[in-house]
Amino acid sequence: MKRITLFLALLVMGTGLMAQNAKLPDNVTLRTLDGKSVQSSAIQNDGRPVIISFWATWCGPCMLELKTIREIYDEWVEETGVKMVIVSIDDARTAARVKGVTEKQGWSDTGDDEFQHYYEVYLDSNRDFATALNIGQDPPHTFVINGQGEIVWQHKGYQPGAEEEVIEQVRALLK
Amino acid sequence: MNIKRSLLSAVALLVAGVAGAQGIMGGHVTGNVQLDGQMSREDTVIGASDVPEIMKLNARADILYTNGDFSAGLRFEAYQTPLLGFNAQYTGQGLAHYFVAYKSKRISVTAGNFYEQFGSGMILRAYEDRYLGLDNALLGVNIQLRPVDGLTIKALAGKQRIYWGYGEGLVRGIDAEADLNSLIRGMQESKLHLTLGAGFVSKYEADESIPSAADPERRLNLPLNVGAAAVRLNLDYGHWTLQSEYARKGQDPSIMNGYIYRPGEALMVNLGYSRRGLSASLQAKHVDNMSFKSSRSQTGEMLYINYIPAINRQYTYPSLTLYPYATQVIGENGVQGEVAYRFKKGTLLGGKYGTDVTLNASTIYGLDTTQTGGAGTEGYTATWTGLGQHFYTDASLEVEKKLSKKLTLTAIYCYQEFNPVVEGHEPDLYHNHIVVGDLHWRVNKKHSLHFKAEWVGSDSFYDEARGHTDRRAGDWVMGFVEWNPGTHWFVSLSDQYAYNDGIGNYPSVAVGYTHGTTRLQLGYGKQREGLLCIGGVCRQVPASNGLTFSLTTSF
Repeated sequence: MKRITLFLALLVMGTGLMAQNAKLPDNVTLRTLDGKSVQSSAIQNDGRPVIISFWATWCGPCMLELKTIREIYDEWVEETGVKMVIVSIDDARTAARVKGVTEKQGWSDTGDDEFQHYYEVYLDSNRDFATALNIGQDPPHTFVINGQGEIVWQHKGYQPGAEEEVIEQVRALLK
Repeated sequence: MNIKRSLLSAVALLVAGVAGAQGIMGGHVTGNVQLDGQMSREDTVIGASDVPEIMKLNARADILYTNGDFSAGLRFEAYQTPLLGFNAQYTGQGLAHYFVAYKSKRISVTAGNFYEQFGSGMILRAYEDRYLGLDNALLGVNIQLRPVDGLTIKALAGKQRIYWGYGEGLVRGIDAEADLNSLIRGMQESKLHLTLGAGFVSKYEADESIPSAADPERRLNLPLNVGAAAVRLNLDYGHWTLQSEYARKGQDPSIMNGYIYRPGEALMVNLGYSRRGLSASLQAKHVDNMSFKSSRSQTGEMLYINYIPAINRQYTYPSLTLYPYATQVIGENGVQGEVAYRFKKGTLLGGKYGTDVTLNASTIYGLDTTQTGGAGTEGYTATWTGLGQHFYTDASLEVEKKLSKKLTLTAIYCYQEFNPVVEGHEPDLYHNHIVVGDLHWRVNKKHSLHFKAEWVGSDSFYDEARGHTDRRAGDWVMGFVEWNPGTHWFVSLSDQYAYNDGIGNYPSVAVGYTHGTTRLQLGYGKQREGLLCIGGVCRQVPASNGLTFSLTTSF
């Protein structure tokens, strides 16, 4: 009986804890493309939603997702004010490629005017942020964060068309 | 049951309910769970073994509790028994990883198990790769201080995980990194971004008796403490970047280097240029006697303190990963270069949507060494630029072209030279020509097809009678088709067939379902060992013949 009570107590408590949305961790160290260390609290969008996508330069589905969203990203931003943050989990072997890939692809801002809006890029070489967010080993993994910094939706993997679900989640936040 | 007890139970439930619902306890519980199962019948042709226990199972669950700056986590792992390709010493189950941590803006403290990396990892990297069965998490204390913006100091001490236990060696380390643009007032607005770092790692291991090569009657005078230091810089100026790290290690006789006393050193330099539509990079690496483990007598992949990555490009196509190159920590010299260019849309080569072209080449050699003695001596002398045995070379041309709104084609040609000596086999040199065609067809908004056709022409061959037993040898054709009816399901068919001078035919079928963060995948067929990308994610798999399933979720 004692055990059952303890179990029930934990269960009830657990349900209460999980009822609220988890906050995005604000105390993990990330690196910017120019080599600076920043805390994950830097990821914010003035009270508007943020999409966070974990990716790697060697991950085909990740590249496909980010290229697909690039083509419609300016429209997304103008419609919803969303900000796309992409976090590379490339380790020491491929981390040096990240800047080249993001600048060439038009994902990060290089000061030209081909696009109106760009992704914000961070490096998470030893997967500290990925571990804190429980993404497991396989990218891609995409999160939608509301204006209060809470994780409201997440999705594993990418298949063509999945980007529509991402923006639907963002639109739902604005209603 | 007496009244007192039931009253107590009721109160406990009430308190728990209120605490949980009202958030008095605060905090959040998150986690991820993964379950991988495998059934396999023996197939001597492809090297798959029989599974007498019918099913092999790897399971793990990470549970993380976070409350403001405080967090605590634990991981339960079970291997009953471990999947094919995993070390049998993983057999068993239990609490494999646990920690409590306090992290705020200026200070972070972790007690228990943790992962960490200094710089690019040349002298310290504690990390995990669950598909490779690799986990060298430290058990100990890790402290990070950020006294002012732009300065990070890390200090740690602990023992390394090996399977279900911990190595005997102690690992101690300290690292400092300064971002000069944040630290120096005059540099805050500068276009030049400069980050400098330095680290030191020391390991301690008790004495043991290792005979000297010169006089087997005498034992080696082993250093009980071995130090390794590294300095690094990261420079960013407009379109240009320069990253470099140099590491040096003291006398560290071990089974990995044949108990020689030569100090180790390594240098990595990466120069990059990038702007819209163009990126170029040049990388060079020199490694000399840099195996750094917390145990002198440990061979294999476990108990490495440092991590030195391979320099060649990392592909995910099976034809291009037949012969993956792994860094030779004992010694190598390598260079890699890459240029990627986008022909803009509306130009002759760019067409309606633009064309992406990538040229990549790398070459890696062993060091040019002169032997001077065996165990107990310096071992050898080597120059910085001299080239010894040829290990690996590749050169590739990749063209990616969007043909229409719905069709995207990628074509790759790669020439590759691979020396199996890097995997511990007899020296040889395979010459491979590889061609890949990859077509994405987005039929409509939520419905798509993915085709891949690959060919490998190689002068390597499989001939058991003559001692050539490399199952990757020979000429291959590979085909793959994946159908995504909507964004939740996928079905795929693939085959890899060694049609000439080789052995093995690997047909397989897979089906998967993803909903949110939950993903279930079932596969049936023959699996060649290697990196597999399917249904939206990439993973490392061992050889098998039969049914596999995988369930992952996170919350």
